[in-house]
Amino acid sequence: MSSPLSASAASGTNLATEVADPGTRATATQHEHPDSSNGLEKTIVKSYKAPIAFAIFTVIALVLFVVLGRDGVSTFRLSNDNDLIQLPALGVPTRIAGIVATVLLAVIAVLAYLRVRADRHVPLWLTSLFGVLFLFGFLAWAAAGQTLPVPGLLVGTVSLSVPLIFGAMGGVISERVGVVNVAIEGQLLAGAFASAVVASITGQPLLGLVVAMIAGALVSFVLAAFAIKYLVDQVIVGVVLNVLVIGLTNFLYSQVLSKNAEVLNSPPRFDRINIPVLSEIPIIGPTLFRQTIVVYLMYIGVAAVYFALFHTKWGLRVRAVGEHPQAADTVGINVSGTRFWNVLLAGAIAGLGGAYFTLGSVGAFNKEMTAGAGYIALAAVIFGQWDPIRATLAALLFGFASNLQNVLGIIGSPVPSEFMLMLPYVLTIFAVAGLVGRSRGPAASGRPYIKA
Amino acid sequence: MRYTRVLPVLAVFTGALLVLAGCSPAPAPSTASASTYCARMVTNQGGIDDRSFNQSSWEGLQKAETDFGISAQVLISTNETDLAPNVEQATASGCAFVLTVGFELADATTAQAAAHPATHFAIVDDQIDAPNVKSILFDTAQASYLAGYLAAGVSKTGKVATFGGGNQPPVTLFMDGFVDGVAAYNAKHGTSVQALGWNKTTQDGVFTGDFEDVNKGKTVTQAFIDQGADIILPVAGQVGEGAAAAAVESKTAKIIWVDNDGYDTLPAEYKPILLTSVMKKTGDAVEQIVGDDTKGTFTNSAYVGTLANGGVDLAPYHDLTSSLPAGLADEVTALKAAIVAGTVVVTSPSSPK
Repeated sequence: MSSPLSASAASGTNLATEVADPGTRATATQHEHPDSSNGLEKTIVKSYKAPIAFAIFTVIALVLFVVLGRDGVSTFRLSNDNDLIQLPALGVPTRIAGIVATVLLAVIAVLAYLRVRADRHVPLWLTSLFGVLFLFGFLAWAAAGQTLPVPGLLVGTVSLSVPLIFGAMGGVISERVGVVNVAIEGQLLAGAFASAVVASITGQPLLGLVVAMIAGALVSFVLAAFAIKYLVDQVIVGVVLNVLVIGLTNFLYSQVLSKNAEVLNSPPRFDRINIPVLSEIPIIGPTLFRQTIVVYLMYIGVAAVYFALFHTKWGLRVRAVGEHPQAADTVGINVSGTRFWNVLLAGAIAGLGGAYFTLGSVGAFNKEMTAGAGYIALAAVIFGQWDPIRATLAALLFGFASNLQNVLGIIGSPVPSEFMLMLPYVLTIFAVAGLVGRSRGPAASGRPYIKA
Repeated sequence: MRYTRVLPVLAVFTGALLVLAGCSPAPAPSTASASTYCARMVTNQGGIDDRSFNQSSWEGLQKAETDFGISAQVLISTNETDLAPNVEQATASGCAFVLTVGFELADATTAQAAAHPATHFAIVDDQIDAPNVKSILFDTAQASYLAGYLAAGVSKTGKVATFGGGNQPPVTLFMDGFVDGVAAYNAKHGTSVQALGWNKTTQDGVFTGDFEDVNKGKTVTQAFIDQGADIILPVAGQVGEGAAAAAVESKTAKIIWVDNDGYDTLPAEYKPILLTSVMKKTGDAVEQIVGDDTKGTFTNSAYVGTLANGGVDLAPYHDLTSSLPAGLADEVTALKAAIVAGTVVVTSPSSPK
């Protein structure tokens, strides 16, 4: 996306590209070294990764949608019965939809090949278009003779993504400041536990949110203390913390909570708040604007993290400490202090995501109810290249794939359930390997800073 | 570096928690009695308070403690690597009776039973053929057949649904019975109630993939409700609580709980949406088998819980009794009698043989 831009900006000075934000730089599917202005040094590495990936998917589409094509009409339901504005259901003949999709996919694959041959990179919008078309073809194929509720598919996507997005925000901040946060799972679980207990005792779900943040920050505190002060390997501390929090919450759940469930583990849930006007927009309204306060906090949180990280003094310091702590130290930034407080902040945000499991979703706390969401959030951080917006999109992609598996299972898809359960993970691997390309994290992430 | 001062506090805090965690889950006080008979139980990864067969097995064993004056202890497995060592440790305790819970423990139990022919073993939810092992199995399809029949009769939308935690025989047995029960209702009443989420012919359907992710259970259930289903049977342990939460929010959907009577085990807010429960009375079976063993009448013939022997059953309708269509409760009772009498046979590829 920005590779030619940074390359041209960098003419003459290689330094400029090095300083450029790593997140945007690594998106290009093709790695061009900056041309030097006098033309002496020019290397262009052609990457056929994208066209090859497109070709493979086109072949899959050909086999699935055309050769194994199914007959019937696939109906996409676009509105729920209680929506103010009713969109008519969209019905497409399955076989024709499959053929059209396959032809378009083939066209894009050829286009991508031609672009790469002409020493140009494959733009992100083309990749996105390819993905959307493939998805359309797949949905039409899977829903032959059935009705696919599109709003339901999207609402479920958001529900499944919320904790991942909170976790990913915690991961982004922590890694940007130079501390690998493997303990997201622990922070989520601690948040879920603490919020359920406090909200049950006080009857105040908002208080539960605050306590969830404190609980997440406490887990972070241990991580920060060991990683920053005692220079222990950050990944190991993170893993140990996850196991510790699982053990601790399991123990407290079985010994304390389950024996006094009425008092300690029956928190009130947040009600859904419909935002006037916005909630009546077809498809988008039910998906984004009929949610609980936790989800609205998430929207604010993602925007705030993005803005603060890239447009404030705080963000500049955070990134400086994560990229080159020694340089940051030289200009008078307190490296350990910055890391410490930001890791705590990261934990607090992840803890808020934990509260979604209880107060925002099902109410009562259950053993290991985060079920590995923290690890997926960690993957979203890397997949999203340490950028809050991209990490959010990555988490949404994962949530979408998980919910697609639910919805297709319900309408009786021809794909075996075991395969569908793999789908979110397969998709993540493909997305990371095929579309994103090389990920480069903050340079000093994971390395303790020892002041000379 | 201001934060350094807080570290000792943290260390003490963490340390205290660890100490607490280490010493507290003391096993139940042994009811010291004249009898030297002791029993050991090994859980699967679900742990002791899974609101499912581990919990009910342990309750059965605890009841046996008071009934027969024996002493019992439980070894809790937290992951797969614990399973075999725990069974070994339980056997090495020298106790006369070792109970293992879950098909994951079958291999370890078979091995220990072969090495210790004098010790009596029992395993819940799996079949082991050995002279000193009693298999405790449940034909839950019989009870969930009744649940399916009931659900089809109660449904106002003409759609009911079920989903599982994973595609394994003890889970799909419930689902087989459920869809057959719906079909039985349709055949009798000429209706066309649809059962979503499970296809008995292909033996495939909707699964959450684990037994922990409650949020996922809620999302799946919402998707079912979007499709018009109004009675949902989750066969996925605590994930079913997510289904209950979604049903409460929908204001129309109802839930059928599994393993125990959800009216007693679920949070109070779910009572109004709990239609019934498909009960699997592991505790009663365990209690009875231990009792037999203390009397010296242990056999290795499998115990199969059925409607006839009360090993499986449909729970009362509790708060929703009055909302049932007229005559439906009697039809279910008659159907139960027919299954007990053998005039109606519930079949499933996962049925205990």
